[in-house]
Parts: sequence; C-alpha cells; structure tokens
Amino acid sequence: VTPPLSQPEENSHLRVFLLLFRGVRQAQWLTKTKLVQGLPAAVLSIAENPAHQLQEQEEAVHRAIAHARLWETTEVAPRREKYCPVLFEDLIHLCRSMSMKYPSLARRMLARNYRIAATWERESTLLQIRGLNGILMNSMTPIPPIASKEEILATKDHVLETFYPISPTIDLQEVIVYQELNDTGFKDGYPYSHPHTLYFLESANNRPNRFRPEQLRAKMLMFAFGNALAKARVLYGNDPQVLEQPIVVQSVGTDGQLFQFLVFQLNTTDLVSNDGIKNLVWIDSDQKLYESAQCVPEVKKRVVTKPTGIYGLQPETFKKFLALYLHGTV
Amino acid sequence: MSLSRGVRRPIKLLIWAPCPSAVPQLCKMAACRGRRLLWHGRCWFSQDPAAPPPTPAPAPLYPPIVASHTAKSKVAKRRRLELFYQQVHEAATIEEKLRLYGKLQRPKYMVYPQTFALNADRWYQSFTKTVFVPGLPPRAPPAAAKAPEPGAGAAEALEQGTATAGAAASGAAEALQPGAAAPGAATATKPAAEAAAELDLGALRDLACDALLQESFYQNKKRPFLYRDQDHTPAPFLTQLASSFAAFLCKRNPLLAASSLDLNPEINYYWHHGEEVVVHGHRKGRVDPVRFQIDDKPHLQIRVPKQLPEVVPLESDLGDVPVVNHKPSKLPLFKKQYENKVFIGSKVADPCCYGHTQFHLIPDKLNRQRFKVANLEDQIEVVYRANGIASLFAWTAAQAMYQGFWNEADVTRPFVSQAVVTDGKYFAFFCYQLNTLALTAETIQKSSRKNICWGTDSKPLYDVVEDGSVKGFNDEVLLQLVGFLLNRPKEL
Repeated sequence: VTPPLSQPEENSHLRVFLLLFRGVRQAQWLTKTKLVQGLPAAVLSIAENPAHQLQEQEEAVHRAIAHARLWETTEVAPRREKYCPVLFEDLIHLCRSMSMKYPSLARRMLARNYRIAATWERESTLLQIRGLNGILMNSMTPIPPIASKEEILATKDHVLETFYPISPTIDLQEVIVYQELNDTGFKDGYPYSHPHTLYFLESANNRPNRFRPEQLRAKMLMFAFGNALAKARVLYGNDPQVLEQPIVVQSVGTDGQLFQFLVFQLNTTDLVSNDGIKNLVWIDSDQKLYESAQCVPEVKKRVVTKPTGIYGLQPETFKKFLALYLHGTV
Repeated sequence: MSLSRGVRRPIKLLIWAPCPSAVPQLCKMAACRGRRLLWHGRCWFSQDPAAPPPTPAPAPLYPPIVASHTAKSKVAKRRRLELFYQQVHEAATIEEKLRLYGKLQRPKYMVYPQTFALNADRWYQSFTKTVFVPGLPPRAPPAAAKAPEPGAGAAEALEQGTATAGAAASGAAEALQPGAAAPGAATATKPAAEAAAELDLGALRDLACDALLQESFYQNKKRPFLYRDQDHTPAPFLTQLASSFAAFLCKRNPLLAASSLDLNPEINYYWHHGEEVVVHGHRKGRVDPVRFQIDDKPHLQIRVPKQLPEVVPLESDLGDVPVVNHKPSKLPLFKKQYENKVFIGSKVADPCCYGHTQFHLIPDKLNRQRFKVANLEDQIEVVYRANGIASLFAWTAAQAMYQGFWNEADVTRPFVSQAVVTDGKYFAFFCYQLNTLALTAETIQKSSRKNICWGTDSKPLYDVVEDGSVKGFNDEVLLQLVGFLLNRPKEL
C-alpha cells in the first residue's frame, strides 16, 4: 500500500489523496506524458562541462555530506528527519555560491510551504491536484524548451499505456469539487513567476512514512505537471490547446542518499483525449550520492576496520544536481 | 571542578633519613639516635658561613612530598583538583578534553539568551565578564572602502562596477584608515563612494525587498497560527535574506564561498563563574562554583574555516563590567542538572570551526507591542542586548574550547564573531570579542582581561509593506548587514 500523496487541506471537500499503485506509468496516463529515460542532452552537457563546476567541488560535496550525516548534531548519529533537510540546504548553498560566476543566478528565490492547485480533465474524469508539495525554486526567466518541434510532433504516434481492466483512476480519492481551482501559489505581479525546480525531501524517519523511489518519481511527475499546468493556465487561459512555447519544470527528489532527477515539458493542455501531442518527461532515477556514512567506527576484535566517514562518494550525482540548478541560466 | 574519584594513587611511604636537609618542619616523629648525633654536625654547619653550599643532587633521591590524594582534608582536596586539571591538560583529543571538562554533573543555572527578565543584559555581562560598548567597532565598511572613482563607477553596468570597485577597494583599503571611515560619517569620500556602492546596493536592496514581498505579500499563505506569527513571515524572510545575501556576496568575500550555512543549529556552552555555598541537601555547607549553561538555537548561522580578525588587542580595557550583588536566581534564573554540553553547531571534526555571523529571531513572546503595553519600553533594547551578549559569548567560548582552550588554559588569541538580532522588522547588530575564558573564582583574579561586546540599538529595515511594495526602506541597516557579511581575515 503506497502512502498518500499530498497533505489534506482545511476544507475537507477539497481534499485530494493520490495513491499511485503503478507509479510512473500511472502518472504518465494521468498527465498524458511520454517517458524518456535519462536526463536530456542539454542538462547532461551542462553537467559534463568543467566550466560549470565549483572549485574543489568533490571536497566541498564531501564536506557537505559529512556535515549532514556526521557532524551536525550532539548525538552520535543524526536521524533522517534532521540530516535530509540539512543535506539539501548544504547542497543548495554550494549551488548558490555559483552565482560568483553567473550573477544572474541571484535572480532565483526559494519558496517553502507554498500551495499549488491545478485541475484538468482526462477522458471524462475531472482530476485535480492540490496542496503543499515541496520546496519550489522560482526564477525570473523561464527555462527554454528542451525538445525540438519534431520531437514534440513525434509524440503524436506514442500510445499511452492503459491498465485494462483496471482504471487508472482507481486509487484516487473522489471528492465533490465546488470550484475548479487553478492557482500557482503566488499572486499576480510576482517577479519570480516561473517555476524552475521542485525539491522533494523524503525525510520521515520510518520507512512506511517515506515514499519508495517509484512512488516518489510518480509524485514528482504529478506535481511538476501541476505546477506547469497552473502556469500555463495563467499564461494562456483555460482553453485546452497545444502550447507554442512549452513550459519546462524540473524536479529533484531525495531521501538523503538516493536522488531522483526529473525534467518535465508541458506541450499541451488538451488532455481530454488520448491521442494528439503528448507531454514529455525525462527521468533519471536512483542516483546514489554516496554509498554509506559510518557514524561510529566499526571495530572487529579490537581493531578499527572501518573508521568514521563517508564512503563511496559519487560526484556525478552532484554534477547533475548542479546542472539542473544552472539549467536555464547557463 | 571536582576530581574523579575513580583514580587511586598509591600512597607513597616517606622514609625519614637522618639527613638535615630532608627533615620537614612538621615532622614530629621521635628523633632517632642518628639525628641526635648529627645535631652537632648541623650546628657545626651553621656556624661556618664560609662553607660552600651543598651541591644539589642530580636527581631527587626521594619522591616529592605532597598531600594525600584520598584524605578528607583541604590539602587533599586541592591535590585532587590539581590532578584533575593535569588530566584535562594532558587529554589526547579535543573530544576527550570536552568530555572530562563536563563530566561532573551538578545543578546549574540555565541561561536563556532570549529572556523577558528585566535588565538581563547587565546580569549576563556580569556572568560572562563582558564590557558592552554601544555602537559598532570602527572598521572600513564596504561603502567607504571603495576608492573614490565617481564618474567611472556610476556610468558602468553592475558587473563592471563591482569589478572596478573591487579592484579599487583592494588598493585603497590599506590607504584608508578605519577610524576615518565610520559608516555614518560624512567625509569627502562619501559622495564618491556612494556612487560606486549604489550599484551593489541597488541589487542587494532589490533582493531584500523581493524576499520580503514574497513572504509577506506574494505567496498565498493561510492566516498565522495562534502566537506563531514569527514562523509565518519573519522566519522565512530572514532565511531567504541571509542565504541570498551570502550567495550574492561570495564574490566579494571568498570566505563565504567556503562557509557552511546552518539552519536552526544548536549552540551549547557550560562554564563556572563565582562561588556559592550549597544551601540544602547532603552537600550542605560546601563552597561550590556557580555553574551556568547556555542552550541556544539561533535561526541561522554561518561558520567559516578561518578565524575573523581581532578588533582590538587582547589586553584592551574598554570599560567596566557591571557588578551585580545578588544571587543569579534573583534574575530569575533556575537550576537544573543535565548533560554539560559544549557545541558550536557541528562536531570538532568539521573544518568550519570558527564562527562568522549568527541570525537570531526574537520569538512572539518578546515582541515590542507587549513591552509597550506593559510600560516597559526601555526593556525592548535590553532583550536585543541580552540575546546578543549571551549567544555570542556561548558561541565564541565554545569555538575557543574546540581549539583546546579552557579556563585553566586561557585563550592566546581573541575569538571574534558577529550576530544580527531581529524580530523581522527591527535589526540590531552585535560584534563580540572573546579575550578570556578564565571566569572561575580562582582564575578570574589572576586575569585582568575582559570580553568585549559592541552593539547597536534596534533600527527598522522598512516602514511598512503595502500593495506589493516596501515603503521606507532603510539603507543604513542594509549597509551594516552587508558590512557584517563582508567581514573577513586580512589576508583574504
């Protein structure tokens, strides 16, 4: 049984619980999306480019992880509720120091505890997504579309996977909606009006309270779609249409060790029928930042076999994290 | 500090040999015949002043005569104390030293930096031997440190202006004297410096206004929870402000690029100051040191790998420490017994072991309106000062302990840190220099050094936020904040 998705709102008739038994495949049907494994080439080229890296990046990342996992508390080992947000803050602090090289990175703003609302219709079912989701980084300028026109047109031929005889909306909660709400979470005139990246921190201590990687990816996809759709409604109105300027929203989800990266491009708001142009999503899943963190030295027969420290650091994961941060500016 | 009772030293038996130089005054043992025989020899020695002094033995033949370790006597207690000090001095690692320092648990006063107690700042100054100097220490702030190149700086774009200002600043910083370049002083360099500083300041002002507007206006938020107003707007605003300023000023201050930003870290410090007589219990009547513990949770702090430079020399005397002739419990302070922790926000192994700036948020309980309603308007500033002094003392002293200093091994270099105390609108700036850790009853008499805290009054950053714009933005507060964040060691 997968845990619920979004937090309940104060008015009970507007609540939405979303249980995704098929993970990303179900989310794909709900959002009319085609999946591409791996991050897009534009982001990967930013990641590989040595000019887009911090000084002594590996050491800095190692220090950030050690701070989060080992040093940050008076207890012997911090718990996930503490080390997951601390790791995220440290990594974002490292990314923000890149504004030394690219001053336009300063035109970004983090928003915590913001609420999203988006409604759409999917084959005669009205779906909506609401509530607190994650930490959103807004930017003044939108991310340029990643897929070219040909690729977008090619999605017409893609057939969405259905789960016959199971309806894809089987585990969604049915509520009576009095108001079809579309809200980006911010008022008009907000200077940082383009959602850039959504960060999800699975920081619950107990495993049943955390989303498993597949469900986390599905949650990321649903909320990235929700943010993009709300923005599209604000920009282009409520009529279903194919967007000339697709909207790109990125997402990063982590539980303190495993990272999931996602880039979503909204090509169309015409979601009623199953054919036509589809949206695109690139997912890079299950990237480990480090193998393990030893808080107490492992001692076997009075000899220290494994001293305290972080083992198995994989700097490529941070490069991708940084690339997603820099995407759109660089 | 009491000694560990587990250590048992072997009692050394002293054998009295018939040697005149080894006979102590207190020895009342029966004189042996040999001693009587030598008595004449002793007289003979004393009648001959021209005799050469006896050559000192190459190594003492007999162990040193010291007091007992386990006896119930004052001398034995003193010896146990000395042994404990020796143990702490010889501890192999800093963690071991801290463990021994705080091993014995006894009831101690819990000092809260954010307190409603009246005149708490004077009490805290007396507990920490701190001199409070109003106003910030004179040093070259960023605005005046930029060399006067008026026309060139003003006409160019932001990045270019920063580059010229930065290059000029490194050349002019040596030329300008810190005393002449006080922030508010209107000197000849000010109009020119303003032109160069405007460019930077404009971007920073926009950042600050955007953060404020996002939190208070643009983001759709529910109504704040009861008595949780500070969590609703000022807390995220402060986080946003501090982190975006730190990122923006990385270019100007490379120390910030190597810094570590902590959200809601924990700061702990435990110390002794003064003496009291135990009032009740099985230890009644004994003279005990007065123990204090600060457990602080600043909203945000920046830790750096290199120490901030000293503001004034170690032995400076800038004023008097207030003397409070009451027991600490009259403040009111309450005693509790729990773990004696010393912590700067991360463990000893962290390379960022020096502090740079802390940001404190005044809680709802202590907001200005409550003080005004209770006719205690002069206590508003006391809240800010008490918070600054106590938090910064705890932080700097914990940093000093992380470097191996403690009250028997006093600091050899001053430790400097800064703090910004705010309630979301009013900002007060504090700078603290720790010159001495020797605050126990014995060591405080030997040391004439005092800790120093500079601080300003609280000033508003803006007047009001209305309809998507900030009215009455105060650039002076912004300048002071920027000056704080740009503080760095001289070699950087």
